[in-house]
Amino acid sequence: MGPVSALLTAWVATIPSFAAPFLFATVGLIINERAGVMNLGVEGIMAVAAVVAVMISLSGGDVPLALLGAVGAGLALTVMFAFMAVVLRVDQVLSGLVTFAMGIGVSGFLGDGFQNQPIGGLSALPAGWFGWLPHVLAGVLDQDPLTYASFVAAALVWFVIERTDLGLRLRAVGEDAPAADAAGVSVFWMRIGAVMAGGALCGLAGAHLSLVGSHLWVDDMVAGRGWIAVAMVTLSRWNALRAIAAALLFGAVEALVPQLLSSGLNVPVYLIEMSPYLATLGYLLVAGLFRGGADAQPADLARPYLREERR
Amino acid sequence: MPMLRVSPRLEISNRLLALTLALGILTGLAVSTAFLLTQGMGFADLASQFIGYTLGDPAGLDQTLTRSIALIMVGLSVAVCLRVKFWNIGVEGQLWAGALAATAVVLYHIGPASLRLETMFVASMLGGGLWCGVCAAAKIYLRANEVITTLLMNYVASMLAQQLLYGIWRNPTDSYPVSQTFPRADRLALLGFGHVHAGIILSIAAALFCWWLCTFSRVGVMAKAVAANPVAARAVGVPVGRVILLMATLAGALSGIAGFGIVAGQEYKLTQFVGNDFIFPSIVVAYLARANPLGVVVASVAIAALYTAGDSLKAFYQLPGATVLAIEAVLLFCVSCFEFLIRYRVAWGR
Repeated sequence: MGPVSALLTAWVATIPSFAAPFLFATVGLIINERAGVMNLGVEGIMAVAAVVAVMISLSGGDVPLALLGAVGAGLALTVMFAFMAVVLRVDQVLSGLVTFAMGIGVSGFLGDGFQNQPIGGLSALPAGWFGWLPHVLAGVLDQDPLTYASFVAAALVWFVIERTDLGLRLRAVGEDAPAADAAGVSVFWMRIGAVMAGGALCGLAGAHLSLVGSHLWVDDMVAGRGWIAVAMVTLSRWNALRAIAAALLFGAVEALVPQLLSSGLNVPVYLIEMSPYLATLGYLLVAGLFRGGADAQPADLARPYLREERR
Repeated sequence: MPMLRVSPRLEISNRLLALTLALGILTGLAVSTAFLLTQGMGFADLASQFIGYTLGDPAGLDQTLTRSIALIMVGLSVAVCLRVKFWNIGVEGQLWAGALAATAVVLYHIGPASLRLETMFVASMLGGGLWCGVCAAAKIYLRANEVITTLLMNYVASMLAQQLLYGIWRNPTDSYPVSQTFPRADRLALLGFGHVHAGIILSIAAALFCWWLCTFSRVGVMAKAVAANPVAARAVGVPVGRVILLMATLAGALSGIAGFGIVAGQEYKLTQFVGNDFIFPSIVVAYLARANPLGVVVASVAIAALYTAGDSLKAFYQLPGATVLAIEAVLLFCVSCFEFLIRYRVAWGR
């Protein structure tokens, strides 16, 4: 096998595990936003989840317990966001930013004594399972259970949102809260439920980063992936199945960078890293240009609702 | 069944506004203090670190004021945007763009040598203004959500900076990822108090200008109309799009100047860390100041003092640096919770 095809094979095999945290977070945000709530706090939620997973692992807990703890920590922070954004109807951008800062601050504080200590984490399924498949395909399929779970979660969320009665009500709340309210859907509880479900998925995204990705905790480990997920919601046009494609795109670019660095090829690494951001920006502009504003964004996104309030 | 009833208030008095802001800040400080006390710090220690050192000690005051120079600019940037209900969470990108533009002027000797600093200043405004202006234009003409576009532009600018620092701008003498050190003539003057440089004059002038703009100018009045009700504003002939575009471009230029101040007044070179950790502080500053440009100056010095105290707590008590971010979050959380009480009347009833 030549060096280029070796690089390609190694690259392709790492894409799914790079894409998984993006996918978890993006799908979580899609649930939020389809109910009309924009949660900019993902980055912070992912950070507390990642650090708690490491803390539990280092304290002797096994992987399921670490996962549970991570999701619990993510949910705890999400409660704060839900209290601000849905209960008190504070501006959602502001609520999200506070959640972000709280998450980064708390994770930095909690994780201070746990930095750079490797954990066992979660490893891939036995490679033997896929030995009979072609080489590249076996590499792609040889992932850990949490990575598989992210793709299953995306499909499941898509089905619930687009094909079930619950999903219809969720979308109604996000598109036209007063109408949903008039039709007897509780805007308040629907939004609380969506925010919490989304927060749990963002917690899984954070757990994936430490349990599968790095196998340790360091400050700033989330490194903007939560913010990327916020942008990916737009790129996937609020559709959980398209989120898979968006996550694979960002995952592919993120997975390419270490391969390029280790290959010693002289390529503009940072320009390559910039490309998905430019692509998302370009997509936004082109979508605005050709759709004349009739876009997929839920109409009541980031608009708090109170029956007594004039809109 | 009796339950909690929430109804919006129609009139909000300034006194109530000031009262709840004060209550929010006090509660936030109380919570933060209580937390720090549990970390084994004495009350007297905290008071001396937070108030004595950050504002009373020359070294501490130096650090606080130096940090506040850029903070005032990015705080103004967010505040000006909030005046037209435009969320600018891209101050880091705009700051990078300004710093890159100013650095380019130095490295490529752009403009007459005698006007180098002035050229850098204008270039940084253009860079930052462009970075925010395109997002405003995309919002107005293409309905692109500015939260997403300004956010993405942060990454574009910072990756561009990294690419330049690891590429053609890398220091040729030691090949560290920093630019060449600026010649003496291309630096902002120090004012004779520690590291405080002439950028502080720019920051205060900018705050006064923004205050004039928002309070007395034609654009400021139109901005108020746009923020209150864009549909009604358009109906009475306010050019809503152009007002937002103008305010957002100005905001970008302000962040750009912050970048100019850091490279020309503080670092004397472009480093990898010029544009780091400004997004949340800028939001905190603008929000605590209620988007009032003069309030931004006060809030910036206060938040800069918080960072100074955080640095010394880190040194003396091994308190993780991220704790400052959590304290800021607690402050903003308390203030916005109290704001609920201004905006809504809460009562038991049916």
